Amino acid sequence: MGMSTLHNVRFAGMATCVPKRIYHNVQDAPPKIRSERERLARNIGIYTRRLCPEWQTFSDLAFEATEKLLVELAWNKADIDALIVVTQSPDYPIPATAIILQDRLQLPQSIIAYDVNLGCSAYPFGLHLLGSMIAAGAIKKGLLLVGDRSAQEKDPLFSDAGTATALEFDASAPPMHFDFNSDGSGYRAIMLPVGGHREPVEIGHLIAHRDEGGFWRRGTDLILDGPAVLSFSTQRVPPAVEKLLSHTGIGKDEIDYFVFHQANRMINETIRKKLGLPAEKVPSTLHDFGNTSGASLPVTMTVRLHETLAQGKHRVLLCGFGIGLSWGTAIVDIQSAVFPDLIEV
Amino acid sequence: MDNNNAMVTIEQFIEQFLSAVDFQEPVEVKADTRLADLPEWDSLAALATIVLFDTEYGKVIVGDDLKKCATVHDLYALLG
Repeated sequence: MGMSTLHNVRFAGMATCVPKRIYHNVQDAPPKIRSERERLARNIGIYTRRLCPEWQTFSDLAFEATEKLLVELAWNKADIDALIVVTQSPDYPIPATAIILQDRLQLPQSIIAYDVNLGCSAYPFGLHLLGSMIAAGAIKKGLLLVGDRSAQEKDPLFSDAGTATALEFDASAPPMHFDFNSDGSGYRAIMLPVGGHREPVEIGHLIAHRDEGGFWRRGTDLILDGPAVLSFSTQRVPPAVEKLLSHTGIGKDEIDYFVFHQANRMINETIRKKLGLPAEKVPSTLHDFGNTSGASLPVTMTVRLHETLAQGKHRVLLCGFGIGLSWGTAIVDIQSAVFPDLIEV
Repeated sequence: MDNNNAMVTIEQFIEQFLSAVDFQEPVEVKADTRLADLPEWDSLAALATIVLFDTEYGKVIVGDDLKKCATVHDLYALLG
């Protein structure tokens, strides 16, 4: 499919919720690795991250974001026809978190609700999925909940967040443009290798060993091939963005902000430079919020742009990329949308 | 992205390499320095080297290319 355009879909609003708990990549690290953590933080650009306490899940954050968004939109819950959750940290392996949230959010039982399994690339894909339902005409108002709980103290990259986006049918809405790509040959670059049906959890996976930094590691931990992810991101993302711009005939100067998945500073700066974009048009939240997986586009829009986007008319390019491998780009015009302040719980 | 690899001397390359890998502790690096002997030649340094080749020299290298390099000169030779 590659590229597509959706009509009659209005971007009505967005809310983002993060845990209150802040972890500092340098000060909170074990003393013996603080020096190397300083160098690491400088290069990945990530100093503080938000970590869920043990009791808190992604859906708790997404719940708060949704409640706040619906209040500010003044939407009637009975009018919501679809609830799409895009996460890799569901409450349970089964059933789908979206269905549990239907009841928790007191949304009507006549709603379409299910989960989609995507990580860092989630946002444009989710926007397109819900947008397609609305463009088809049957769904008038829908919610897209995106995010993950992927942070751990020992891992300096990831940070937790839950987000909610509201879309609605509007015959006068400007078109949304998309480009999507998926390359399963790179599935090993980022994966949780254990716990699915190829390799169920066995006792052996749970026996931990201490790594050089003094952190406990288990067979059930995430594996991440840094060089492979870097090569993928810096080689495949810039041409995909160029392709969508050229296909739509929209010039870079006609885009107000380019919001990229917040992977790490080396990856994001390389992408920005390859595309020849000025830093002021490419907002970043890496320093304070790290890599929030699929939530990183909403986190960055909320934290850096929410006052701007709540006024006037703005055109944003949104690009998510990562685990899968999967990468997608959207061009969205935002006008009179609701953007609550960042929520911290 | 200047593609002027032919004009890069080993001395210039070492200077740019040290700036890219951003070692916390200063070390002396020569052409025949073994990468394995550099205390901070780690995954972060590997990422920085891949980015250096891409953005400064317009040359795409991958993790496996780095694994085949024993010395700093081997890295320089990747510029082709």
